[in-house]
Amino acid sequence: MTARVAIVGSGLGGFVAYATLRHSGLEPAEIAVLGVDPDPAGAWRPRAEAIRQKLMRSESNGHCWPTSFPGFAAREAARRRDLAPLLLSVCDRYRPTVDAFLHHVDELRARSRWDESFRHARVERVLAAGDGFEFDGHGSFRHVLLAPGHPGLARPPALEHDPRAVHAYEPHEYAARVTVVGAGMAAATEWLNALDAGAEVVSVRRREPARRALNVARPLFTKRGLGPFHATDRGVRAALLRRFGEPSYPPGRTWDAPLAAAAREGRFRIEPELNGMDQVICATGFRRGFEHDRLLARLVAEHGLETEEGWIVLADDSTVPALTDRKRTLSLAGTPAQWAYPAADTLVGMKYAARRFARRVTMCPTR
Amino acid sequence: MSYTLRGRLETRLAAALAPFLVAAALSPILHVWWPLELVGVMLAIGLALDVALYHRLLPYQPGWAALPLGLLELGLTMAAARALELNAPLWPAVALFAGSWLVLQVLAHAGLPLLRLTWPEDGGELGRTGRVISATAPAALLVIVGTAWAVEPPTVRLAAGVHQGPLVLDHAQTVIGRPGTVIRGGILITADDVTVRDLTVRGGEYGIEVDGAESVELEDVVVEGAELDGINVRRGQVEIRDCMIRSLPAAFTQGIDISFGFDLKPSLVERCTVVGGLEGIVTHFAKVMIRDNHVSNTELRAITMTEMSMGSIEDNEVDGALGVGIFCGDFSHCEIEDNAVSDVEPDHESGDRTRLGVAIQAHYGAEAELQGNEILRSPGGVAAYVDATIDHE
Repeated sequence: MTARVAIVGSGLGGFVAYATLRHSGLEPAEIAVLGVDPDPAGAWRPRAEAIRQKLMRSESNGHCWPTSFPGFAAREAARRRDLAPLLLSVCDRYRPTVDAFLHHVDELRARSRWDESFRHARVERVLAAGDGFEFDGHGSFRHVLLAPGHPGLARPPALEHDPRAVHAYEPHEYAARVTVVGAGMAAATEWLNALDAGAEVVSVRRREPARRALNVARPLFTKRGLGPFHATDRGVRAALLRRFGEPSYPPGRTWDAPLAAAAREGRFRIEPELNGMDQVICATGFRRGFEHDRLLARLVAEHGLETEEGWIVLADDSTVPALTDRKRTLSLAGTPAQWAYPAADTLVGMKYAARRFARRVTMCPTR
Repeated sequence: MSYTLRGRLETRLAAALAPFLVAAALSPILHVWWPLELVGVMLAIGLALDVALYHRLLPYQPGWAALPLGLLELGLTMAAARALELNAPLWPAVALFAGSWLVLQVLAHAGLPLLRLTWPEDGGELGRTGRVISATAPAALLVIVGTAWAVEPPTVRLAAGVHQGPLVLDHAQTVIGRPGTVIRGGILITADDVTVRDLTVRGGEYGIEVDGAESVELEDVVVEGAELDGINVRRGQVEIRDCMIRSLPAAFTQGIDISFGFDLKPSLVERCTVVGGLEGIVTHFAKVMIRDNHVSNTELRAITMTEMSMGSIEDNEVDGALGVGIFCGDFSHCEIEDNAVSDVEPDHESGDRTRLGVAIQAHYGAEAELQGNEILRSPGGVAAYVDATIDHE
């Protein structure tokens, strides 16, 4: 059987799409996964390790299984014969551990026969041709989902060549005096990590972080908030997306108590500028915008796709309108799909794109 | 979960299908319409709250909110059921509501996300299926509840004042009086599914006679001055609650007599007060539960279960009976528990040695099981005669 469906990108976004396609009835031979690392958590794992992340920010349904239920809480409750995970889940207080998440990825990878579909390939160009798409040297496909992941780590230009600087998502230890640049989830995690390691910590931030459980307001995870979001004009939507991208981390004593205690001891303070500390940790996230991704930049340039600021303009179902019709599909998943789904970089967001892609694939008469 | 309005309505309608089918099956089996009507009321209240309240106030609804919202809907549903006089018994109605609520939770958290992958991010909307349900459910609801409403036994309300009887109820109906409603000359019930409530019956050969009818309910009735029996049931099945039988004039008058319905469902006499008469509550060849009643000043026996009857006599208060308080006779099987029997006086005049102030008596092959009864000032105590047995548990 020749694969007619391709997933470009073998990270979590591609993996979620693969699991969804398999759930929709496609065999491994019908799907080609093109990527550079056969481990779906290959890119995510070292980042989580670098910031010593123990718990997922996502909740019970932040997983890669194709159906929302059963999520982590229901499975853990069944395994432990204990209602506590379910009770925590209904109160939005359940957080799976990173270990549990990684174990689940490994398990699903084996069960879905991901490796049978994986092809080692670095795709740098996707070209619309006839009723499908051609990848230079890697075949042609009718239905393609691009999940290229983040286009690289973002560093403040002033720190590009500073030998003291390390990015939060790169492996690192902590010096005795540490400056953490940034104010999002990774920065907050690094404040606590460095304090825990006995360091004196200075937080350098341009603005105060918002305190919210998730990056994006909960109604925006469903049609309730997506409806109005999709109805906005381009300028408004871009402004909204910029706002959603502002730094935030969850509220709660877990975060506040250690910071307050360290501040009382004189080990934690906030400053507006870098100040000559031993080590500078850039908790400044990822680069933003399609132009930082070679594949997407060429796609836009060669097909004249519509863009707004750093985003490719997508249809509500996460497809590229100019390159999608009854016979072929080009979808985006992960961060590049934020135009259609603001929380596209979350596991739930990846499923949003994947489910709509799977529906188009299974309903296409020429699949 | 952040529901869209359409999502809320479609999810609720989809979840209502199962309870609706259960109610549709229960109603003909139980010969009552309240399950269907209750599901209809429940659904109507839920939909109204969805539109008027939940959609506006809950842009995001955490899982735990299902519990307080469920309690709110339960309260409103029960209040509406009462206002609409659905005659839904409290605990079965609560159980039906709780079951429906549980179905909704299971569907919303597990069933629908499994059946429809995009259900969570679609805000609870069910796509084409949802549109079909939305289009057909209200019509189906109206038809079924309307049918139930139309064929339900009529309710007759009697004004306060005296109504000349005898009143003959020969088809299913509910007769409800008001304070001051009096039927003079008795009531005769010959049809199934008759309910009589909140009235006084004065005089008549029998105060209320039930002849060959089942599923008859008598609630809050007062019977005064009946010539033979206050309430007489022959080959019938009744539930009598909160009644008062008094002013029984003749020497042979009985308070409540339920007889010859052993092959029917058990009858029930509960929370009634019987004053005077030959026997207060008596059963012949019938299955009856007699509980929480107060029987006093009877001339022969206060409570009698005889002629191969079977049943329980529980938590009753018997006092001032002449001869015998509680009697289990003639091969009957009686569970006699937690009754308070006091001041049963010896009937020396009768010359019968079995009537010398016996609080509880088993007679002629009857089997009585006793537990937790309190006996005061009754010289005959507990006694068994003529091959009868008494087991103390």
